[in-house]
Amino acid sequence: MKDLLKQLEKLLNEKDLDLSKIQDLKTEILKNHIKGLKIENYIGDYPTFMEPVILGDSVKIGDDVLIGPRVYIGNHSEIEDYAEISNSIIFDKVKIGSNFKLDNCIIIKDSKLNFDNFSNTNGILKGVADSEDELEIISF
Amino acid sequence: MSEKRKKDIQRIKELESINLATDDIRELVVQTKIKVEKDNELLARKNNEELREHKIKSVDIVGAIGAGKTALIEKIVEILSEKYRILVICGDITTRVDADRIQAHNAESIQINTGRECALNAYHIHKIIENKDLDDYDLLFIENVGNLICPSEFTLGTDTRITVVSTTEGEWVIEKHPMLFKMSQVAVINKIDLAERLGTNIPKMLKDAKDINPDIKIITTSAKTGKNVNKLIEILEL
Repeated sequence: MKDLLKQLEKLLNEKDLDLSKIQDLKTEILKNHIKGLKIENYIGDYPTFMEPVILGDSVKIGDDVLIGPRVYIGNHSEIEDYAEISNSIIFDKVKIGSNFKLDNCIIIKDSKLNFDNFSNTNGILKGVADSEDELEIISF
Repeated sequence: MSEKRKKDIQRIKELESINLATDDIRELVVQTKIKVEKDNELLARKNNEELREHKIKSVDIVGAIGAGKTALIEKIVEILSEKYRILVICGDITTRVDADRIQAHNAESIQINTGRECALNAYHIHKIIENKDLDDYDLLFIENVGNLICPSEFTLGTDTRITVVSTTEGEWVIEKHPMLFKMSQVAVINKIDLAERLGTNIPKMLKDAKDINPDIKIITTSAKTGKNVNKLIEILEL
């Protein structure tokens, strides 16, 4: 799975994004390579997990968070309170604000979404943003 | 979101009873509670329609921790796995223990760790079945989080609800937890193999269940020995 995530990162770093390839690879990873509940190392209270979910190391999770099904969250990422994430890949060192609802999304490594109350379906999110307006959103 | 709103939501989250709400937010608490219950009912109905559309029979099982829910499902799946393609959704606060146990018996199992929530709700089930190809299954079991109180707040959309108690919980357990028996179609008194040794008053338990719900079907079982598991399967019409 690590190789496939690296492949996906490479595709996401291209100047001209091939959205069809990205979507296919994302689906392949989430459908066939995210299995069970690998959630041993998170930092937080007791969120709700619906398998399959894989968490990297030291993922911080807030209160009343629902993660899954089919979610990968990379190392050292941070999810604030009341978030709901499904069918998504969140790369390393991402921060998302409170009351985020994401389905079928990818969040690029190192993105910081420093605002609250946001929903997105079928999108690639990237950047350091203090508001929705500052966020780069590419729809599938 | 304003700081005041955040604080209000936090207080609602912490309130276990409307009666604990201060006057200034009482109405908000009541409205929120009603809306949540209504939404759950609508979603449960939608779940049931979805399952029936795919000709999937569905059963959810509630009961306290240690009553024998998982053991019963293991036994039932062992018997039925040749006849049905079975999916089992397991709800627990943490761990994958129950899903792992059931998986060993030739059924696919999915674990939901509910964290601080003491019961599965219709939204949990909706999210799972939304992400599954339902044409791959004939039979769905849902094992709820172990307790006899919280699951009564949320129907899940299954055809049948079974409430399981065991002889080790004492003969007052049914009388003390009427809500779940009111909303269940089947009551199971498990660990019947221990009843004599414990001196549990089984006739009282049977009477209590019927007093609470005259339409409920009741059976005594032993998941350990397999006693009456086939009869339970007959009652479930599987």
